[in-house]
Amino acid sequence: MPALLLAVLLPGLYWDQPADTADRLRKAGIERLYVPAGREQAWRRLGFTATPFDRSRAAQAAAPKVEYHMDVASATRVPWVDANGWQFERAPGRAYFYDVPRGSAALAAAEAFAYGIEAAVRAVPEDLESFARMTKFLGAIDQPRLPVKANIGVIDDGSDLMGEVLNLMARHNLLFHVIPAPDTQYDLNIRLGAGAYSKEDAADPYAFAMQIRRQLTDEKRLLRIYGSNVVLARLTGDGAHARVHLLNYGNRPVKGLRVRLLGSYARAKLTAFEHESANLADYDVRDGATEFSIPETGAYAVVDLDKVGQALPPANPH
Amino acid sequence: MPGPYPGQVASVHAEKCIDVQTEKPDAAVVREMMARGMCALTGDKDARDAWARFIAPSDVVGIKVNCSGAPGIMSTPEVVAEIVRNLTVVGVKPDQIWIYERFKYQVDSVHYDRYVTKGVHIWTAETDRGETDGYDPSTYVETSFFDEEDTRSNLVRPVADRFTKIVNVPNMKDHGASGVTGCLKNIAYGSFSNVARSHSGTVTNTYSFIGTLAAVEPLRSRTVLQIMDGLRGVWHGGPFSPSRKFRFYPKRMLFGSDPVAVDRLLLDIIDDKRKAEHAISVWDRSPKYVNASGDHERNPNVNSFVREPGHIEYAAHLGLGVYELDKIKVASVEV
Repeated sequence: MPALLLAVLLPGLYWDQPADTADRLRKAGIERLYVPAGREQAWRRLGFTATPFDRSRAAQAAAPKVEYHMDVASATRVPWVDANGWQFERAPGRAYFYDVPRGSAALAAAEAFAYGIEAAVRAVPEDLESFARMTKFLGAIDQPRLPVKANIGVIDDGSDLMGEVLNLMARHNLLFHVIPAPDTQYDLNIRLGAGAYSKEDAADPYAFAMQIRRQLTDEKRLLRIYGSNVVLARLTGDGAHARVHLLNYGNRPVKGLRVRLLGSYARAKLTAFEHESANLADYDVRDGATEFSIPETGAYAVVDLDKVGQALPPANPH
Repeated sequence: MPGPYPGQVASVHAEKCIDVQTEKPDAAVVREMMARGMCALTGDKDARDAWARFIAPSDVVGIKVNCSGAPGIMSTPEVVAEIVRNLTVVGVKPDQIWIYERFKYQVDSVHYDRYVTKGVHIWTAETDRGETDGYDPSTYVETSFFDEEDTRSNLVRPVADRFTKIVNVPNMKDHGASGVTGCLKNIAYGSFSNVARSHSGTVTNTYSFIGTLAAVEPLRSRTVLQIMDGLRGVWHGGPFSPSRKFRFYPKRMLFGSDPVAVDRLLLDIIDDKRKAEHAISVWDRSPKYVNASGDHERNPNVNSFVREPGHIEYAAHLGLGVYELDKIKVASVEV
């Protein structure tokens, strides 16, 4: 994987409505569109940056959200998160199409951006303004991509069974790369049907993911999240820098999220969607790890960390 | 903990401390109970001297109330108000006194502000359930019970960095998971985040987790006084009390510095009441009585978990107090 990747195309709004809706889009702050092939010239004449998008070549992405089933007894009280990151890791070169209900468009854009994939999002009219705010935010924080960090290698057989395993691993912030063959650079290499990873065990993907977690050990996890079951992370970085993408799939902000990152980072900066003035709190570097809290995490936040530079002051006393 | 009076408990009973029909406490009787109890515990003749053994004017005092069963049962406002009054008598300023609990919605239902001196703080860790910014990120117990993702339970911030002393004010309650909930459960599960993760299905890890949390510094050394409020009690269905069906009225308060000794007496108070009501013992671990479906809320012969009343003896093994009844000295007072 190249050490530095070019910035990707930002996710855009998929709009198949007629051109007389242009004022509605302008009012919402939308300037860039994905449109059905053949309509791009008409939209360009109206002043929009329009790109044709062929839905037939795009993979469908699920609406990102949390399913709360308070009335259903289950083995775990953890809510179910509908997230697409595991699919993006599995097929990173594909274009994706989101067709999302009200309330999900901004998060869909953030998710696509965090994973660096090309995505078109069809949003309901009520979400146009929040979608526009999110894409402007993403544009402001976009930078050349750092390599994706993971310490679990997964040899993907393309099966639905493996898909569920990848889903559950992503769900628990067990950071993985999909790789063609075992590689000693990873702490664990997972191939269904080989070694300790039987297909019978994988039939219960939750238990299987927990087996992987125990084998890796929590101490070796590159990133841990405390204080929420509905925030998923993606980690990129090189020798000196790291970027943590935090996606909150819940329907309300998370207060006091705590993040632990392997590695000692002298300084860090928080950039949070719709929480522009927020700063990291209780920053702590010890025992080869860096921890910090985020006072309030909305749909999306990014933390950029540097190993060199002026160290942040010790955690504030309260 | 266990403080200067290991294995010693003052037990004060007052028939008129609460009107059983209206559940209205008598503040004057409560005052007398508290004065007599503190003197019986310490051997002092003057209640002010007794309080001064635990609290100095410069202290910042946390009062750990219990509101999990509110508004049916909670640390009675008249009891909490009398504690505040005694603190001010020894010289603690009202703004150095903090009533604290984890959940705001529970505390709001009690309205302590209507009973205590102006200036006393009422603080909760979680305005919305699950918030973690009220907890100290650097003081925690980390363990995994059921492969939960968040493996930390963090200490509430003011215990970590503000309070110099804590007065613990539990109720006399049955508890579906821990058998009973008294001093240890109130100070442990009431001072740390993310503790419900210790229960899943019919299994609870309260046996070891309660004592483990209670033994964490600085919580352990700053919790200097246990005042168990037994004006009301709950003999089944605790820690909640949505109806009066399982409430009873011990009309008793227990005073000590040793949470294990006080809780050891509580075990018998709850179990004796359950026997009197022909309910299974808090010690009964038989699978035939365990059903997580919710029937325990109506039926005192159904348990939602395999109960763990042994958590009190476990805490004794951690050095938190004296468990053996024959080693506990009880000073009984009748008001």
